[in-house]
Amino acid sequence: MAVTALATPARPRLFAGPLVPRLVAGLAVAAAWEEAVKLFMPDYVATPIGILAAFPHVIVSAPFLAALAQTMAAVAEGVLIAVVLGTVLGLVIGRSLLAERALLYYVNAFYAMPILVMLPLFSLWFGYTSAARLATIVFSAIFSIILNVADGARSMPKDYLETARSFRSGRFRELFEVVLPAAMPYFLAGLRLASGRALIGAVVAEFFTAIGGLGYFILFNSRTFHHNEAFVAVLFLAGFGVGADALVTWGTRRCLPWYRRDEKAE
Amino acid sequence: MTGLAGQERSPIKARRTPLRERLARHAPFALSLAAGLALWEIAGRLTSAAFMAPLSETLLRFWQLARSGELLRLTLSSASLFATGLGLAIVVGMPLGLLLARVRLLREALDVYIMILYATPMVALIPFILSLFGFGFGPKVLVVFLFAVFPILYNTIEGARSIKPELIEVARSYRSGEWALWREVMVPYTLPYTMTGIRQAIGRALVGMIAAEFWLSATGLGGLIMNATQNFDTGAVFAAVLVMVAAALILMRLGMTLEGRFARWRG
Repeated sequence: MAVTALATPARPRLFAGPLVPRLVAGLAVAAAWEEAVKLFMPDYVATPIGILAAFPHVIVSAPFLAALAQTMAAVAEGVLIAVVLGTVLGLVIGRSLLAERALLYYVNAFYAMPILVMLPLFSLWFGYTSAARLATIVFSAIFSIILNVADGARSMPKDYLETARSFRSGRFRELFEVVLPAAMPYFLAGLRLASGRALIGAVVAEFFTAIGGLGYFILFNSRTFHHNEAFVAVLFLAGFGVGADALVTWGTRRCLPWYRRDEKAE
Repeated sequence: MTGLAGQERSPIKARRTPLRERLARHAPFALSLAAGLALWEIAGRLTSAAFMAPLSETLLRFWQLARSGELLRLTLSSASLFATGLGLAIVVGMPLGLLLARVRLLREALDVYIMILYATPMVALIPFILSLFGFGFGPKVLVVFLFAVFPILYNTIEGARSIKPELIEVARSYRSGEWALWREVMVPYTLPYTMTGIRQAIGRALVGMIAAEFWLSATGLGGLIMNATQNFDTGAVFAAVLVMVAAALILMRLGMTLEGRFARWRG
């Protein structure tokens, strides 16, 4: 089942196009937001000016930096685990019909499952600790990598393998030196999905278990009526999504220049 | 590893009897499913009941909850939240997306913000919604709506971007009015893209529904999971998770069918 291979159209470039209408619209939305809060909402509610005012002192404050470091370290660790395990499983599922028939159903079911329902179970199994967060991140990230790598390994041109075979390449080397590089664009598309999902996994785990990190930073500040401060962290989360996307696109262009990712990604 | 996927089948294998072919196709899945269920049962029995409920315990709790009518009531409560939020997202997202598609200035002004919101993890906004609007049905619908609306908007706009200018020019040269242009060109052309958005929105709305039930107020199936976790009623947690996974799979399949049906229109 090709969850990942459904054709999505080319992504438009983010900042191509006219600047003036964008600036005007942005300012208009910000002004409307500012006024609406002043008129209808209590004064602790976040406003654009409040967020701008809070931004400089929040991003250098110790609690924020600690939270940022904790969440980013956990996401990096979780994604790394998911990449290693997910690539191996994806290669096996993509190249072995038996493995595909036995395991693909599980992978698809877990991929479709909302991560949130696993939170209570992870907190039961790992306690209210950073291990529960790590488990949530790995669980969020791994299945899109498995599915994409399996997709890439399956749709590899036959000629590659035949060439490798004629040079008497062994099974193991074949998998890691022929199939894996051929599946690379798919892997990168999977990684892009996985990094976004991993960040959401980290935030919801922090909401659920109240362990330190950006998610908890948002929760704590919004509960203590520091909405402007909390919103700075939301901006970082949004920026992470856009940034991870740009990073993977750049990586694809840089390392796989022959591949036009618009055709297959996602 | 046995054999390679797909392309490596020899002609001898292709002439196998249908029964053996079918067995080869379905046996691995049946066996791995049986192994998975057995593993679940054994793991549940080896650990404590609060840690992991075995399969039998889960099915028993499922049966109890189903028979008392509790499960149906909670599922309907979740479903109404899901349907209201997703329905609103479609009703708002589709016309707005088409409007942005038609009015180029508006689209160019707003698309960056829509893309940023599309990439923002909506779950991060839940604490704000809770403290601003409380935890009634309305705020929960808002959560589901926010999760679901941006994929629909984003994909509709993306579809509209890819309308060939020739199409509109031809329609114009035949003196097509604004209404006819929408009906004959814009809507048919962007609908497949909107459907992709709706497929993504279905999955997101489900997550939004659970998030709202977890963190706003514990109702529906999400509420059942929360309450059962606090009571260490792990059997009920697993039963609720099973119902949710089944619902997620059915809804996703539905979304993919819908998308596939309209994908044929794509030029």
